[in-house]
Amino acid sequence: MAKRLKAAERKASILAVSKILFADKGFHGVSVDEIAQRLGVSPAVLYKHFDSKEALYEAVLDEISCKRESYVEAVVQQPMDFARVLEAMTRVYVESIAKDPDYLKMEMHSVLEGSAVTKQFFENRWRSFTDYIEFNMQELMPKEKVANINPKVASLMFQGMIREALYAKCIYHSDRYREIDLQTLVTTLTGLFLVAIGYQQHTNIS
Amino acid sequence: MTDFNLELDARGLNCPLPILRAKKSINELESGQVLKVISTDPGSIKDFDSFCKQTGNTLLSSEDAGSEFTFLIKKH
Repeated sequence: MAKRLKAAERKASILAVSKILFADKGFHGVSVDEIAQRLGVSPAVLYKHFDSKEALYEAVLDEISCKRESYVEAVVQQPMDFARVLEAMTRVYVESIAKDPDYLKMEMHSVLEGSAVTKQFFENRWRSFTDYIEFNMQELMPKEKVANINPKVASLMFQGMIREALYAKCIYHSDRYREIDLQTLVTTLTGLFLVAIGYQQHTNIS
Repeated sequence: MTDFNLELDARGLNCPLPILRAKKSINELESGQVLKVISTDPGSIKDFDSFCKQTGNTLLSSEDAGSEFTFLIKKH
């Protein structure tokens, strides 16, 4: 019989085990019975804490969003230079994902599963980058500090690049990029992005 | 309600944009003057708290009105 746990500990252990299973198999690939079995408890124990599998999945997402990486340090410590802030933000995000690739796997599953709630959740996560790029490009373009490129397309390029690098290094563990460490890969890609948008180095955004 | 010298509307912006905008606005203020920031990003409560701690500015108040957040920041 499973050791009796306090309610808060039980809830935390349900969330931890659910996150691993959802990451491996997606929302539809996991049943409440399976989660209960993995925890060594009856499904009734799970339902005492969460009304449904949907509620449990949302709680896992909520927990991830509470641990959302903070870009404050990245922003405060840098001079207000578009490229340096972007590099610092990317470093923070990539470090956080590398520590917890389960999150990335959940994102991959959610793309195929097509639930509106989760889609919005994962899109929001990227919004820090897409908004930051779009907003600054709109300000830099009239000053001719970046090329005349649709900022939405540029931010999509950035998101695609970084996400693919994270997939290659944190999920596929691709042999092809083995000799390049993740941060070097991401820094190089960010540099390529800045060249692509015609960014004039060291442009103060204040 | 405390008076403020400058208001920043950061509604609809996601972290770190409200912080970047606030940093820029504070640069325009004299020491002791107050910046009011309105934002809609739920993460901004934590962000402005940490921003003030890291920059030495004072967070005079942090109000949560459900979908909108108001901060008063006094320049160091």
